[in-house]
Amino acid sequence: MTLYLLKRLGSAIPILIGVSIVVFITIKIIPGDPVASLLGPTSSPQARAELTARLGLDQPLPIQYLSWGAHLFQGDLGDSIAKHVPVLSLVLDAFGNTLVLATFAAVVAFVLGILLGGVSALRRGRVSAAISNAISLFSISVPQYSIGLLLIIYLATGAGLFPTAGMYDPINGGGWGDLFLHLVLPGVTAALVPAGIIARMFRSCVIDVMSMDFIDAMRSRGLSELRILKHAFHNTLPTLMTIAGLQLGYLLGGVIFVETVFSWPGLGLLVYQSITQRDLPVIQAGVIVSALAFVVINVVVDVLQAAIDPRVRA
Amino acid sequence: MTAIALPAVRTKRRRSRRLPVSARIAAGVIGLVVVAVLLAPVLAPHNPTQGQLGERLAGIGTAGHLLGTDGQGRDILSRLLYGGRLSLLSGLIPVLVAAVIGTLLGLLAGLGNRFTNGAVMRTLDVFYAFPAVLLAIAIAAALGSGASNAIVALSVILIPPIARIAETETARLRGADFMEAARASGARTSSIAIRQVLPNIAPAIVVYCTALIGLCIVYSAGLSYLGLGIAPPAPEWGVMISDLQQYTFTKPELLLMPALAILVASVAFNVLGDGLGSYFNVRQEVR
Repeated sequence: MTLYLLKRLGSAIPILIGVSIVVFITIKIIPGDPVASLLGPTSSPQARAELTARLGLDQPLPIQYLSWGAHLFQGDLGDSIAKHVPVLSLVLDAFGNTLVLATFAAVVAFVLGILLGGVSALRRGRVSAAISNAISLFSISVPQYSIGLLLIIYLATGAGLFPTAGMYDPINGGGWGDLFLHLVLPGVTAALVPAGIIARMFRSCVIDVMSMDFIDAMRSRGLSELRILKHAFHNTLPTLMTIAGLQLGYLLGGVIFVETVFSWPGLGLLVYQSITQRDLPVIQAGVIVSALAFVVINVVVDVLQAAIDPRVRA
Repeated sequence: MTAIALPAVRTKRRRSRRLPVSARIAAGVIGLVVVAVLLAPVLAPHNPTQGQLGERLAGIGTAGHLLGTDGQGRDILSRLLYGGRLSLLSGLIPVLVAAVIGTLLGLLAGLGNRFTNGAVMRTLDVFYAFPAVLLAIAIAAALGSGASNAIVALSVILIPPIARIAETETARLRGADFMEAARASGARTSSIAIRQVLPNIAPAIVVYCTALIGLCIVYSAGLSYLGLGIAPPAPEWGVMISDLQQYTFTKPELLLMPALAILVASVAFNVLGDGLGSYFNVRQEVR
């Protein structure tokens, strides 16, 4: 088990190096000369050459990458252009809030997805299955920004049930109850797409398991349908765990639209504000942090899976 | 000597006979939308970019403005019709670009030696470590706003999943008899790829790409909504949502129009993809 853990951690390293290369490339494709834009159009060629040398921009690209990578490794992601503070602290604060929203949405998506997928797998050919198929297809197709706005229109302002924006009430907010009320609308909006994906994956997984021989064997021995379902469910758990990990990772990076619509103070909203201010260091740091989180989640899922299923370890 | 009519040899997947009804309805809806946006100059009652400030924020069903007007008095129906051109195109083009590049990469990895396969697939793994939307946003933000930059960004994030499907499907064919036969007859790898492999992996790729168009319409409108794609005042569905968002609390029904347009287009492509999947008997790859 320790060996597997080490191997799995080892395999994440080349991925992380690849991630840093891709982000470095996105910095290099920014059109325009960064030195000219820092010094202004009237600067002398000599001043430009000096700054180019000071920023290390006269070095070959691989050298530039290595020195950038060394800073990255030490947690130095540069300063925000608009806010003049280190990017990392900005991004980490926001990431915590995103984690709260993404976890809540993942739980909602998981429950909804298992219900929809289970119904459509076990009631095949009936109306209830057709309805849950339609719901899951619909939910993977929705544009989150517009569904979010519709929920604001009808449930928040129309019915006055939930707050429309933010994480806590600004006047006498705080506490778990207030947080929960603020979570409901963005959480449900963010959960729709992953719920549909989980439903469709879970459906095909249940159909596979239910067509295995051991199900027939149990049925011929006269076990009740409920007992059979319990055994079948155990066999879907490894797949479910993989899906759950993938979707949580997807949510961490995918809630940008939801956070923008509901003004949730997370990474997505931060990235959105940085887009309008062209604050690229913040955008890059946001991408790096969520890619890192995604890789970590995948490692954790694989290790957990190896812990419950010895076949994976081999 | 009489010619003997030999039955055509088919190694293809067994096909269910007909496209499901839901998929045909979806195809019909897509057809209608395409015709409507192509005929925008004929169908649109007003200029999509010039509004009359005296008629701003007219409600739905106002005489002369069937779907109302926006904050600058521009006719929403006309903007939807013209905007559909940009929205559909920016959903379609990235998928086409990614399909060509992704299929080539998948063939290369699937037919290449261990080293080639490893190089291509491990590189793609790196892209799987990014949340796709966020990577598209980072690329589009770096390149600067504009329709073509959004298309580049979306193409990049769509290549890895398509390449992975092409590779899986190609690898599945590797041991097939007709591949051995082609190789034994001295066919070059490039000709095997085009004549033997491509026709066999095409259904899976077409099915997946059809559903991707729906996703891509949502993403590209999303980029415009965030201010990264097509820039205002051009009519585009994502731009319209971002324009009308400020009237969420006063005129919510106006906001519904572009939102519904995106939803209908995206659902239609997803339903069509599902239907094509069961028609070609391709196991649906859920993204």
